[in-house]
Amino acid sequence: MKELRSFFLSPFAFIVMALFAFINAWLFVSTVNAMRVATLPYSLVYSVFASGWFWMGFLFIFPVITMRLFAEEKKTGTFEGLMTAPVRTSEVLIGKYSAAVTVYLAMLVPLFLFFPIFKMVTEQEGAFNNGSLWGSMIALVLVGFFNLAIGTLASAITANQLIAAMLTFVGVMLHYFFGFFMGFTTLPNSKWAAGMSYLSTVEHMQLLSQGLIDSRPFIYYLSFSVFILAITYHIIESRKWRI
Amino acid sequence: MIEVSQLTKRYVGHLAVDNVSFQVEKGEIVGFLGPNGAGKSTTIRMLTCFLTPSSGTASIGGYDIEKDSIKVRRQIGYMPENVPLYPDMRVNEYLRFRAALKGMSSRSLTAGVGEAVETCSLNEVQNKMIATLSKGYRQRVGLADALVTKPDLLILDEPTNGLDPQQIRQFRELIKDLGKRHTIFLSTHILPEVEMTCGRVIIINRGKLKASDTPQNLVRRRLEGGDLVLELNGHSGKAMSAIKEIKGVSSVLEEKTEKGWTRFKITSKGTPDLSERIFDLAVERKWKIRELARHDATLEDAFVDLVKHDIAGKGAEG
Ligand SMILES: Nc1ncnc2c1ncn2[C@@H]1O[C@H](COP(=O)(O)OP(=O)(O)O)[C@@H](O)[C@H]1O
Ligand SMILES: [Mg+2]
Repeated sequence: MKELRSFFLSPFAFIVMALFAFINAWLFVSTVNAMRVATLPYSLVYSVFASGWFWMGFLFIFPVITMRLFAEEKKTGTFEGLMTAPVRTSEVLIGKYSAAVTVYLAMLVPLFLFFPIFKMVTEQEGAFNNGSLWGSMIALVLVGFFNLAIGTLASAITANQLIAAMLTFVGVMLHYFFGFFMGFTTLPNSKWAAGMSYLSTVEHMQLLSQGLIDSRPFIYYLSFSVFILAITYHIIESRKWRI
Repeated sequence: MIEVSQLTKRYVGHLAVDNVSFQVEKGEIVGFLGPNGAGKSTTIRMLTCFLTPSSGTASIGGYDIEKDSIKVRRQIGYMPENVPLYPDMRVNEYLRFRAALKGMSSRSLTAGVGEAVETCSLNEVQNKMIATLSKGYRQRVGLADALVTKPDLLILDEPTNGLDPQQIRQFRELIKDLGKRHTIFLSTHILPEVEMTCGRVIIINRGKLKASDTPQNLVRRRLEGGDLVLELNGHSGKAMSAIKEIKGVSSVLEEKTEKGWTRFKITSKGTPDLSERIFDLAVERKWKIRELARHDATLEDAFVDLVKHDIAGKGAEG
């Protein structure tokens, strides 16, 4: 609860959120325009989310949301007060992670309002189908869980917010670009390639925003998020044994 | 209340706390005294479950710090060194947040925070941002946080560090008052603080326990040795050897002051007051003396003594 409050009160956070909403709005409008002049092969939803612009803005929000979680407390020393309160480490971790998830979900709300509003205003039924909208929403939420876990981990490693932000960004980017590497590999159909593409954000996202929902991305993102949070837990605990 | 047994903490290539054992009874105000880097904060961080000991054990109110960490933490109100706070919160809001974090129910929260605010005289600033507070107020916010859940034990790490003399005096009064309701374990490197507030002193230096006693006893123990100052005119060489022959004298330092006058600093060990014997000697030898005085030992002397011996023995420890 404290995290939520301090995040929404920080001017920096507002700028980032506004920027994110703005980029998305602009992106949305330009995609709609593009569809007017030429028929795109995919639906509106897919076109918006497949755009590089969207991803640029999207990947930036994770470091911003998570960089302060533990790093700032370590820097100012409030970490000591937090960890010596009669609260379990797991409770602290879950509290902080949930706060990050809440902030993230709040940021997604305007994005998904564009589509129904567009539909209402234009009364154009064919622009996209509800399946692909739901699919994209689920995909963004799942990817968000995963990326926020990466950010939480990065913030627990260092007392420097900037380093935490950079680590998060690198982590999120690497994960995102796994998919692109696959395009260059010489063995596109090998098992190895299939495994790699399973690890890529883009792959899952593309399937989902085309409205194809299957269980693999759920299992994948949720289990990896839990795994990364478990590592984070051990890193926080390890300070006790610091030698 | 606190039982510490052979507690040891080793950082990389550095023994910060070395085989320390002591006890603190319920209701005591105990000062944990030592120079900077002695290992006070490290010991306290083990007691508050922030760090795990390399070896040894400790328990608070009967609960082991490693096995029953949550129960241990529930009994402690802890004010860490330098009093870290969230600068972007208001005082009231901060205390409510901390009290809730420590498991206070929302019903008792308002009353509890109100009481802590009252005790620490924070009424005027309770709606101010912590970032805008003076050092003295921040310290009191830290203390209010420590006692908001009315824990049995208060552990305060250098609570008066960075305060001005006036604020230190106020803080001391506050701590004395709190001692009526809580057991208090406070660390400090400032002596007067201990002398005036604490019923007992535990002295630590270079990670090792040096003494555990009342301030009065520590001073008395030091006095058994005690220093004498003697100032006389002429014959300093003969006087020196005569003094050294007195039984019980352990060392004599001489210092020429003015023309013809010499000042001796005589230290004795294990014998009661030597001043009578020195006086008799002066009469017998017809020394012209203008001062024979006993130098009253203070807790500071006792402290410097305990710590000094250690520095001399540093080579042997490696
Ligand atoms: N995290 C750490 N890593 C390595 N050495 C440390 C660490 N914290 C403290 N020390 C060392 O341990 C010794 C004791 O420190 P500390 O307990 O903070 O002393 P005090 O609180 O009495 O001033 C010091 O020599 C200090 O340099
Ligand atoms: Mg210290």
